[in-house]
Amino acid sequence: MYFYIILEKGLVRNMLQFELKKIFLKPVNKVLLVLLLVITLIGSFLAIRDVKYYRGDEPVLSGPLAARQLKKEQKKWEGPVTEDVLRRVIQENQAINASAETEDIGFAQKQGFADLQDLICAAFSEPGEYEPYLCDTISPDKAAKLYERRISRLKKEVSEVEEGRTGAFSQKQQDFLIHQYESLETPLYYEYAEGWKALLDSQYLPTLMIITIVIIGFFVSGIFSDEFQTRADAIFFSTKFGRNKAIFAKIKAGFLTITVLYWFVMLLFSAVILGVLGIGGAGCMIQINYSNWESMYNVTYFQEWLICMFGGYIGNLFILTFAMFVSAKSRSAVLSIAIPFVLSCVPMFLGRVPMLTDFMSYFPDMLLRINKFIGDFVFCEIGGKVFGIYSALVPCYLVLSFGLLPVMYYCYKKR
Amino acid sequence: MELKITNLTKEFGDFTAVNDLSITMRNGVYGLLGVNGAGKTTLMRMLCTLLRPTNGTITCDGKEIFAMDGEYRKILGYLPQDFGFYPDFTVQDYLLYIAAIKAVCPAVAKKRVKDLLEKVGLSKAAHKKMKKLSGGMKRRAGIAQAMLNNPNILILDEPTAGLDPNERIRFRNLISELAEDRLVLLSTHIVSDVEYIANEILLMKDGALVHRGTTEQLVATMTENVWKCYVEKREVPQLIERYKISNLKTDSHGVELRVIAKEKPISDAVLDEPVLEDVFLYYFGERVGEEHAAI
Ligand SMILES: Nc1ncnc2c1ncn2[C@@H]1O[C@H](COP(=O)(O)OP(=O)(O)OP(=O)(O)O)[C@@H](O)[C@H]1O
Ligand SMILES: [Mg+2]
Repeated sequence: MYFYIILEKGLVRNMLQFELKKIFLKPVNKVLLVLLLVITLIGSFLAIRDVKYYRGDEPVLSGPLAARQLKKEQKKWEGPVTEDVLRRVIQENQAINASAETEDIGFAQKQGFADLQDLICAAFSEPGEYEPYLCDTISPDKAAKLYERRISRLKKEVSEVEEGRTGAFSQKQQDFLIHQYESLETPLYYEYAEGWKALLDSQYLPTLMIITIVIIGFFVSGIFSDEFQTRADAIFFSTKFGRNKAIFAKIKAGFLTITVLYWFVMLLFSAVILGVLGIGGAGCMIQINYSNWESMYNVTYFQEWLICMFGGYIGNLFILTFAMFVSAKSRSAVLSIAIPFVLSCVPMFLGRVPMLTDFMSYFPDMLLRINKFIGDFVFCEIGGKVFGIYSALVPCYLVLSFGLLPVMYYCYKKR
Repeated sequence: MELKITNLTKEFGDFTAVNDLSITMRNGVYGLLGVNGAGKTTLMRMLCTLLRPTNGTITCDGKEIFAMDGEYRKILGYLPQDFGFYPDFTVQDYLLYIAAIKAVCPAVAKKRVKDLLEKVGLSKAAHKKMKKLSGGMKRRAGIAQAMLNNPNILILDEPTAGLDPNERIRFRNLISELAEDRLVLLSTHIVSDVEYIANEILLMKDGALVHRGTTEQLVATMTENVWKCYVEKREVPQLIERYKISNLKTDSHGVELRVIAKEKPISDAVLDEPVLEDVFLYYFGERVGEEHAAI
């Protein structure tokens, strides 16, 4: 009996290896694998190149060279952003304005505290607007009230939209938001964080996620349907394990492919960017960057990275297991190859239709764009309590992904 | 081993592919003969649990095969008519994979793959990709695949299609060798494939068995005679129209014909011993003419 169990284990591992072989020996998949690697590297290269350092009249530096200069400049401003610091930002700004020969030169000189300036602009502009020259006119004492302004502006904003109109907040949502805002620990800590900004505050990450999902879609959508495509199904289903363990092996192979490729791409992307630009700023709250200033998620850059990666993984897992399920059910790879593309792109466009925005925020593509939505007010309500949408999406799609596995199994087994 | 088919019927829509078929098979070689569309493949697919019968039952040693599930498939070897495989696998990998899903333990599988590759003459091609094999070589890999689990029930759907004459002879020998202690059911429309190796021949027509027996028994069921005659070429079309012609050999002077008829077809025809091919033609008519000319 014991011997038999060991034997079966060996067989199961064998089957899994062969299933993986089936996937990765396909010529088109080999090409796609290389393509995925190249795209990941190009993506990280582009994200790194987006870091700029301006030198007045001289050419702009970009990439690691720019990062090094920025780090030097920003070092002077490192530390908690207190009222004093905020006053100094405005004073320094005005001093440079007075002394710099040209605007370009002035701009170059302000790079050490430009992030803090942006923050002040974001906070004191009218909601939905951004006045880039606000720091030139604001008084230092007013700027010092940055954190109070954040909360007061929110309160004004949420109460102004009339109940029942689009964009209106329910009382529960208002309470939740204000609570989140008030529990943000201030003063925020500032330090050089170009690595995390390049990684998380850019369009590259969600784009890379979509490309990854579409390419992995090619790998997994053939797992079930290829048996029929190649007409190998007759033999497959007439073998002892053809209606049980061999199907398990297929599901496992799909799961492994999704998991390994996703994490490979994401970790490579992150490692290259952080490796070149540095991991400094991991502990800064994301609100320190003006694009996340309004975020209701009180997390650090490192936590945001974890959320994006894990959430993205769940999104990938769900969309791709769904594609596998379609492949098992329809026995055609064509339909299932289209699924990742449709599920990761179409809701994004439909979401722009105001009527559909709320509905579309429950789609799994939201998980691929966490870093884009982390600054937005997207809620869900569970058991009368309001949460950020991701508190619902992540567990929900995790359960759905695993729930699909047995369904897939029985669909395929039944033929 | 006893495979018992009772009142088996398979309908596709309102078309009946297998019609109320009953037969009990034990160890030995069964040759299933029938024209295109007779229902051979449909019958075999049901025997391999790939199709559910509309009606009737199939039992293996008294147990329903669909209920036996994996226990039945464990003792089954199947070569489908349209044999599909994994194009990017090497022959060896392909066989090792099939061995794995057939629950053959890895150590045994390795040895058996090697033996079978030798038996079907593919040793040299073991590391070639499946998609690069010739048609006949693919089929040989298919035969090897069916044998991997040393099955008690071996079902081969037109295993000799695409094999060259040498291979065909080799295959026949292989089957006779394998046939000990197991049930082999093989379908074909090439009579010579089964004439000598089958213990029993099943003639299938329109989804039903019309006759079964050894070659001798089947020959005895014929109520017409076989005539050998030698005619000029221009006379052939006329004869083909009037009689069932089972064989036709052309030389520089004329044509030698085997004619199936009650009465002498022409005055200088000589009576000949009927063989299985004549029986096939006798039951299935001219529809098979082309295929025979090809042999
Ligand atoms: N899935 C199906 N749906 C509808 N009709 C089918 C199906 N499979 C087979 N048939 C029909 O059933 C009949 C028997 O087909 P089958 O393949 O069993 O014949 P066969 O004896 O194997 O023929 P061949 O010698 O050409 O292989 C044919 O008329 C075919 O058209
Ligand atoms: Mg057939």
